[in-house]
Amino acid sequence: MNPIVELSALTFRHTLARKPALNNLSVSIPAGQICGVIGRTGAGKSTLTALCAGFIPQFYAGKLSGTAIVDGQDVLARPVAELVRHVGLVSSNPFSQISGACFTVFEEVGFGLENIGVPRDEILERVEWALQALQLSELRDRSPYELSGGQQQRMVIAATLAMRPPVLVLDEPTAQLDPQTIEHLAELLRDLARQGTTILFAEHRLEWTASLAERILVLDRGELILDGPPDTVLNDPLLREREIGWPRPAYLADRARAIELWPAQRPLPITLDGLLDGFRAVPPDAKRAPAASSSAAEPTAPTPPTPPATGTPIVSLDGVRFSYPSGVEALRGVSLAFGAGERVALLGRNGAGKSTLVRHLNGLLQPSAGTVLVQQQDTRRTTVARCARHVGIVFQDVRNQLFARTVRDELRFGPRNLGYNARKIEELVEMALQRLQLVDVADLHPYDLSPAQRRLTAIAAVLAMDVDLLVLDEPTAGLDNPSIALLEQLGRDLVAQGKSVVVVSHDLDFCFEALDRVVLMRDGQVILDRAWNAMAAPDYALLEETVGLPVQLQAALALEDTAPPELRQLLLQRDTLM
Amino acid sequence: MRSAYVSNSRMLSTLHPLTKTVMVVLLILAAYLIPWLWWPITLFALIVVLAFASGVGRSFLRTIVLGMLPIVISVFLIQGLLFPPADATPFTFGPLTLTYEGLALAFSVSTRLLLFTSAVLLLLRTTHPADLVYALTQRGLPHSTGYILLVSLQIFPEMVARATAILEAQRSRGLDTQGWRRVLALLPLTGPLVVGALADVEERAMALESRAYMVRGPKTSLRQLHDTAAQRWVRLLMIVAIVALIVWRLSLFVSTFL
Repeated sequence: MNPIVELSALTFRHTLARKPALNNLSVSIPAGQICGVIGRTGAGKSTLTALCAGFIPQFYAGKLSGTAIVDGQDVLARPVAELVRHVGLVSSNPFSQISGACFTVFEEVGFGLENIGVPRDEILERVEWALQALQLSELRDRSPYELSGGQQQRMVIAATLAMRPPVLVLDEPTAQLDPQTIEHLAELLRDLARQGTTILFAEHRLEWTASLAERILVLDRGELILDGPPDTVLNDPLLREREIGWPRPAYLADRARAIELWPAQRPLPITLDGLLDGFRAVPPDAKRAPAASSSAAEPTAPTPPTPPATGTPIVSLDGVRFSYPSGVEALRGVSLAFGAGERVALLGRNGAGKSTLVRHLNGLLQPSAGTVLVQQQDTRRTTVARCARHVGIVFQDVRNQLFARTVRDELRFGPRNLGYNARKIEELVEMALQRLQLVDVADLHPYDLSPAQRRLTAIAAVLAMDVDLLVLDEPTAGLDNPSIALLEQLGRDLVAQGKSVVVVSHDLDFCFEALDRVVLMRDGQVILDRAWNAMAAPDYALLEETVGLPVQLQAALALEDTAPPELRQLLLQRDTLM
Repeated sequence: MRSAYVSNSRMLSTLHPLTKTVMVVLLILAAYLIPWLWWPITLFALIVVLAFASGVGRSFLRTIVLGMLPIVISVFLIQGLLFPPADATPFTFGPLTLTYEGLALAFSVSTRLLLFTSAVLLLLRTTHPADLVYALTQRGLPHSTGYILLVSLQIFPEMVARATAILEAQRSRGLDTQGWRRVLALLPLTGPLVVGALADVEERAMALESRAYMVRGPKTSLRQLHDTAAQRWVRLLMIVAIVALIVWRLSLFVSTFL
């Protein structure tokens, strides 16, 4: 079959960069293939996606050599606007892809089709199809700007799909999506590929990549280091060596192999199904009898149990209700306390009330009824600036936070606001720079950093305020494994200091590995508040139907009746897999 | 507040945007060119009737009263008091005296202003901005100018949302925005807003390019405008009236020099 994407000896160096972002890359992709690109941040994944859709060289200056033919078009020579019938790009920041010319989601999805003069009836038909495919039908009359990040991402994907490009390129399509939506997106992309669309996507979520891709390209510092089918590439030791990492099932099997629960000769699995098949294939010997009828939920607690919250909580909420001026009641009676030394995951679907709750933790919002105490102070009788001494929040969109000329200045801003003396400020700034490995870039402008380092800078800037409770909104979005490992380490360090962290996240695996307690919200109420170690079957069921389950719990529950105790212990062990 | 448009299907809302635009131009020119003192207020009464007939009367009146009252009052005070005294009224405020000429001028200025604002507001209340821009681009307004019009209609609520998010992020970092300290907060608040806006411009260009916005060739529109033969005739008549008004007024003006 003729390749539909043909890249040869492709090299690109950004104007100010010393090293090429992509170095001598040659790849050909046959029509209808689903091809996943993985690698650490800065490996060249985004550059590759931008090149395939003609955004480089049109929008980015630099030195370019080699050839790139996509669907018969020389994408390096033609303007993007003329390529849209051949290749569509969904970039990682959906907000930046909204046209601004449309008042409704429906029009936004049809906007590109209007511009290339597709007949009206066909536009209507294609838009309907795209809205349905991305589950946006109910939002059709909303303004594009009123949508959440995840909804905007779906809208941008819908708008690109509506153009029916034979080649679809996606850069981190899952960054803003919740687990259910991610699953649905994989299904949709598989469908499209079956109908002949070629799909090239760059991703950090290796489990999702493993379940979707037919072929994996691994980039490292601009070079293609591996290329092949997922089940031989994604468990290659080289990935671990280069800190790109494996999908979690591979790590779990690797650990099991060390205690002879995984056959030495069997390749490491890259999907949950592969993992389960492997465990089921191990003959249960006499010594390792299946667990008695007890449930997998029984806490095995290999990691030390959460220290019970002692003393007065840092923040406590009592019967908190909150209604927006629009009349929407976002919190409907929330009572919670965050004590010292806690690592808490705040989970829930979009619109469950998580963001509203977070804004109550430092008085940005004040309850319509009930009380919020921050270090014993009622937030209604103090200021946000005073609460900021105890509670620091890092919001998801770091662009709204960063303003200083250097990373170091950015970090000084918070402690200076709190009125610390110069020596203490410098101490705190150095500590935060070190913990998030920003020392080398401390004198650079935050906007000259990679998106991942920018996120770490935003977190460091609040960390430097030495708060008792650090609140992070979707901190892992767009981060690669080494950066995520930094955050996990940060959580451990904070707890050791008697400080606490609350994380709002869709990344359930991160929450399972790095956090101890789960607060699950639905419709403005807390429907579950329990440590992972103390959960029982009904809790798992509730989690699963609301937000889904981390890979390890899915495996533990699936093997409930057959797993020997050592295996259950291994599956429920909560620490960094990498 | 996304736009002033109120969606319904009554009276003016069903008319073609150009019909309403021409009507608004005619009303405004009539108010300014016909010298009868009571003329603008008469036309205003007509507009209010139209607004109620189109189902937007209440919100229309509220906006007009809230927006125009302070202006009308200040026009009356300034013109009434500062007009050179020719025929003073019995009302004096210390050294200042209200004059009849001043009051007449104030009345004329403010009723014309009232008519101008209310005519435009009525157009915006009963016309979807995208329909209006589409109708104008169909009549030769450049595509890119149309885009700028649409974006500026959307940009305001978007900037407000961004500013709120920035304020939240910086207050969470201990930025005190109470009292005099607000002045110190300028950089952390405007910095991200400006950088964000600049980044937006570049990204917007990419977004438009990836939707083939500047591609030449035939385009389709999802918006459909309903025009009728009757409306076309009415528009023609109104344009004739506009031309007649201007010619008549010019001839009056020229004749004063002859």
